[in-house]
Amino acid sequence: MQLGFLVDLHLCMGCKGCEIACKVENEVPLSTWRLRVKYVDVGTFPETKRTFTPLRCNHCENAPCERICPVSALHYIENGIVNIDKERCIGCAGCVMACPYGAIYIDPETQTADKCTYCAHRIASSMMPACVVACPVEANIFGDLDDPTSNISKYIQDHRDVRVRKPEKGTNPHHFYVGAGEVNLNPLASQRIEGYNLFDKITTLPLGGHHE
Amino acid sequence: MIHESLAATQAVVTLDVPLPDVFWGWFVTMNMWAKSIGTGLIFMLFLLLRKNSGEMKGLRTSTLIVSFIFMNVFLLFTLADLHQPFRMWHIFFYPHWTSAITVGAWMATIFVGLEFLMIILGFQKKTESFDKLLFWITLLAIPVTLYTAGIMAEASARELWQMSTESVQMILAATLSGSAAIILLGGSKLSDETKQFFGAILGLSALLAFIIYMSEYIFGGMKSEEVTAILAHVKGDGEYATMFWIGQWVAYLLPMLLVALSRVSKSNSLLSLAAILAIVGLWVVKHVWLVIPQLLPLS
Repeated sequence: MQLGFLVDLHLCMGCKGCEIACKVENEVPLSTWRLRVKYVDVGTFPETKRTFTPLRCNHCENAPCERICPVSALHYIENGIVNIDKERCIGCAGCVMACPYGAIYIDPETQTADKCTYCAHRIASSMMPACVVACPVEANIFGDLDDPTSNISKYIQDHRDVRVRKPEKGTNPHHFYVGAGEVNLNPLASQRIEGYNLFDKITTLPLGGHHE
Repeated sequence: MIHESLAATQAVVTLDVPLPDVFWGWFVTMNMWAKSIGTGLIFMLFLLLRKNSGEMKGLRTSTLIVSFIFMNVFLLFTLADLHQPFRMWHIFFYPHWTSAITVGAWMATIFVGLEFLMIILGFQKKTESFDKLLFWITLLAIPVTLYTAGIMAEASARELWQMSTESVQMILAATLSGSAAIILLGGSKLSDETKQFFGAILGLSALLAFIIYMSEYIFGGMKSEEVTAILAHVKGDGEYATMFWIGQWVAYLLPMLLVALSRVSKSNSLLSLAAILAIVGLWVVKHVWLVIPQLLPLS
């Protein structure tokens, strides 16, 4: 079994329901996110549009975070999920430095690394991840990539514009996007101009260690 | 391509909450800097043994003690940078051998243990055993110096850090700071000829390291848009441009010039000044190169 995710960006309307569901389900602390929806505005007024891109851990087949973790706190489980053992983590932030997708953060409450686990605890109880359940338009498609009859496999078969983030990194992500353009997947394809963010005053909790 | 698409799309991020910019800050710079001096001194002591063992007298134990202190500074800052420092023992009880962090922690621990043993041998005046052990600890100093480059290479998100260049830079940092430290430590115990020998190592290390940095500065971005974006921080009005050039001048250009002048004028003072500048400048150079890849947005 190899579990994977696909987000159909044609359907996503940026409601952030998945983001909130994830926060509640996993008790993600203030100022950190396992899953977040990025907004990018494209074009010049009046010809403008807003794009939405849910971002979460890609559960790579060749995960840099798993490789660099000195204590195997980040590890694969048999269904392909890259899971994390917070009791074992020493908080070296090697995984934070290694993840090309910026999907790993240091939990300010436990001072350990954390990230999306595809809701591994729910899957163990035969439930879908919280974000899948919350999505009002079924933009999140989750399932077994090894099973050609699963919804996600069929979706990949039926759509030609299936992409992953940063394929050049050789990580082989198990997280796919349909309908994604360069502005959705490439962080360098959009500008980050001060004052343009919808929420500029975001509260961040202090972390241990030393950060600038 | 991205540059063209930016102009075409006018795409602007209007909602995103990326990670804090710099996760590995000056604690990690201290780690790399102190380790360079610690292992560099061992390299230089071994060279001294091979070149002129007569001048080792009075330098064996003192050099080992200074190296031991810097290696402990390195370990202290490594520990202090952990968010869960009291779980450091997990590295020894749950080791994950694909991680350069694990391999490095083990090697550095053995290295420091060997240094402690050599200091005891030094106090007991067991010169022969000391010199035999010096060969083995010099061999171990090579991977201990290199493993940080392995960590940087495993940090896949940071395109700037490539194993090929970082490993050479780590060795050069060790020979630069090690030669500088032994020039200062040796004082009157070293002959002028030996000092000039270490001065030559200092000057050549500075030259090679400078060439590599300039190669990356000028050509690094030509094959990767990520490296282009990262290097923008040290070019033009970049946030770290001034600090970058201060580092290059203080660590490499001025010491090279001073080493050359000291050879012409046979001045030990100029050589000592070159040594001090190289040690100070190395910290700045390492810090800039550590921080700038972390300023790149990943999402």
